[in-house]
Amino acid sequence: MSKNSERIIALQLQATMSFLPVATQCVETAATIFGLGREESLKISLATEEIFSYLSSNVCQGEIIDINCVNGLSYIRVEFRFPVSAINMGALNIAAPVTCASEDDMTQMGLAIASHSVDRLNIVAERQNRICLTIEKDKNYPQAPEAAISPVDSTGALTVSVPDIEGVKRYVTCVAQGPADPLRPPFFNYPGQVADMVTAGDCQILTAVDAKGECAGGVLFRFLTSRIIEMFGPHGFHDGREGEIAAMLLDACITNTARTKAIGLVSLTGLSVSSQAQFELLGLIKHYATEGKAVEIQAFYRLLHEDPGCMVFTDECLKDYLRQEYARLFLAREIRDVRNQGETKTGASIFSTEVRQVQSLANLRPLWPGADFDANVKRHINFLKGESIANIFFALDLGVSWHASLSPVLLNNHFRPALIIPFAGLADLVIFQYDRTES
Amino acid sequence: MIEPNLDLLVPAYVREFEPYIPSKPDPELQKLYGCDHLYRLNNNENPLGPPPGAQEVIRRFAPPRGAIYPSGDSYYLRCEIAACHGIDPDQVLVGNGANEVIAFVIKAFCTQGDNIITADKTFAVYEWVAVFSGVEAKVIPLREERFDDQAMLHSIDAETKVIFLCNPNNPTGTYWSRDVLRAFLDDVGGKQIVVVDEAYFEFVEADDYPNGMSLLKEYPNLIVFRTFSKMYGIAGLRIGYLAGDLKVVDMIRRTCVVYSVNGIAQEAALACLRDETGHIRRTRNLVREGKDFLRREMAALSLPVIVGEGNYLIVKLPGSDTLAYRKLMHEGIMIRPMTGFRYPNHIRVTLAPMAVMEAFVAALKKILA
Repeated sequence: MSKNSERIIALQLQATMSFLPVATQCVETAATIFGLGREESLKISLATEEIFSYLSSNVCQGEIIDINCVNGLSYIRVEFRFPVSAINMGALNIAAPVTCASEDDMTQMGLAIASHSVDRLNIVAERQNRICLTIEKDKNYPQAPEAAISPVDSTGALTVSVPDIEGVKRYVTCVAQGPADPLRPPFFNYPGQVADMVTAGDCQILTAVDAKGECAGGVLFRFLTSRIIEMFGPHGFHDGREGEIAAMLLDACITNTARTKAIGLVSLTGLSVSSQAQFELLGLIKHYATEGKAVEIQAFYRLLHEDPGCMVFTDECLKDYLRQEYARLFLAREIRDVRNQGETKTGASIFSTEVRQVQSLANLRPLWPGADFDANVKRHINFLKGESIANIFFALDLGVSWHASLSPVLLNNHFRPALIIPFAGLADLVIFQYDRTES
Repeated sequence: MIEPNLDLLVPAYVREFEPYIPSKPDPELQKLYGCDHLYRLNNNENPLGPPPGAQEVIRRFAPPRGAIYPSGDSYYLRCEIAACHGIDPDQVLVGNGANEVIAFVIKAFCTQGDNIITADKTFAVYEWVAVFSGVEAKVIPLREERFDDQAMLHSIDAETKVIFLCNPNNPTGTYWSRDVLRAFLDDVGGKQIVVVDEAYFEFVEADDYPNGMSLLKEYPNLIVFRTFSKMYGIAGLRIGYLAGDLKVVDMIRRTCVVYSVNGIAQEAALACLRDETGHIRRTRNLVREGKDFLRREMAALSLPVIVGEGNYLIVKLPGSDTLAYRKLMHEGIMIRPMTGFRYPNHIRVTLAPMAVMEAFVAALKKILA
């Protein structure tokens, strides 16, 4: 997405409690101006209040905090940048064990409230001991209309084109009205949201249209990470020509992404049989419906360029799996061991948690290391089970050395490696799935 | 220490450009892929190497001369090139490979808001240099694997400054005949610069293939690129050149960095031009033999090919080209996957001596089995 100044409101202020109203008012006003509803604006403002209070009291009192409010069109993002020498923000975990028993717990309670008030939270270490803490809140959109769109029955030539906004909404509506798909992202239920995502540059859509401009199919793709594009579809809406439509959309999608910064294209939500020959099977994900029935979903990928090879860090316990998978996928990797050699670990680890209630699904990933990996993993499992989440995934970046020490913890807590997504992190991403049968 | 704000200092078109990451050196690749040899069929290099005279220049280059600056504008080489083509030495600019002369041309003629026109499935560097210079690259789809002259003419607008043609085209090997090129230049009517990249000129044996150099007098908006990297086998020394109208080249010279071409490259290039040992004939024979062999072998495997001029051909695979690259690397064969050229599921193979071609076919059969 190309940022422009109309979409960013920047504030720089001292981390002092007296400036708290400035921060909260700024975020609330920005959220309203950027189109967030009243309730969502209040929630992101509440999260800001708790985060700013915590930073001013416990993390960087008196230091300068930069706050950026970014209009992502379909969501609002607030970024907090601040200096820090040590950090203990364990309460940002969605499963943080916060009670009201002590004053310290009350302080942590604020972060827990912040974490629960937003849709996504991220934390990264930047240069020179600075931290960037990001919260995001999605806008609300009306559901796709239920009135069925009649399928296209054209026998003439189809062409691939970039749809206008009405074309985008029509394509999304056609997808939403198609057969139920447990792994289809929720945004496919909200045509207006996808239209905003396209306008913001968060995703691209190509559609196959007939001479009258009727949509016979489409494909949506977006950057999953800085180097990997995730593809949804191709979807065909023309009985009898699905194979032809899928082939032309896939070809167009690949040629459109071939000279971008992406190194690979993945499909994690299933791919029609006719499209599979152009991809490689990454692995299988079991998706459990809330009533317990499981569906196996195949994940596919293809690289867009030569594999440049890379180094990956791993604990001994995952080494055989990695060797086997890299041999199967013909990927050139230098596997480097990471061992616990008694070094001191302190503080509370932080995991981000993206929960999709409708799909009974949660995606976890480590944001910050700590001394409590095992306890934190257990807390998250228990919390998510308590929320009746049937599908729990945990992603480790094999390019980040400290992630490696989470592998034995995950295996001991009944997670199993399901697949590797090449180059989806600093190096490859290994996706663990929680094995319900062993719990 | 205050870090520079790169968002403010670097233009957006540079920030958003993804740099091309070249392959690792061969020994690193062999280590990564666990192969004890590597046949390089990915870069259209000449397996025969440079002509004997150029090899002698390289062998005899005296180490103390490493301390001496080369001719800043490749003086003797420009004179020799000019004599070969019957033009003035000042009509020639030599660069550190043809890639550098592409940059000279775009810098000389284009500014932000301008555009260049080229094809979607051709040598990518025209498009790259334009994009990271803040210049729009209009990429016109090939028609039947050829540059589409009419579509290119229709896409010209007031902001179009340069049209890049690759003749013969890399990677399809298709070319415009003398008549098509002339008609195109007539239609452009001197309003834009037309670059004809003839990197593979010396490989073409077709009678109707035009020599761009012979058209320079007639079309002052024409610029021709040539390289010593392909037929002459000195890709490792990085040297190529452009030729055009005196006034046009005088403008391009302003954006040209002198001293960018090293002395050994200049002397080796001179020796290439003076070769009388039949280097071109030997190379053409090798290419012809490899082309015929692969055409037969690919037909036997029911794999479609795109074969034209040049020392390469394209093979269409039943699956992913990037997977084929990785599998072939494990067999010690390096080819070019074509997704980056917007030909998904195709690979480009450099034509090489028969023993290597046979090794390639054997490896391909193995990975497709």
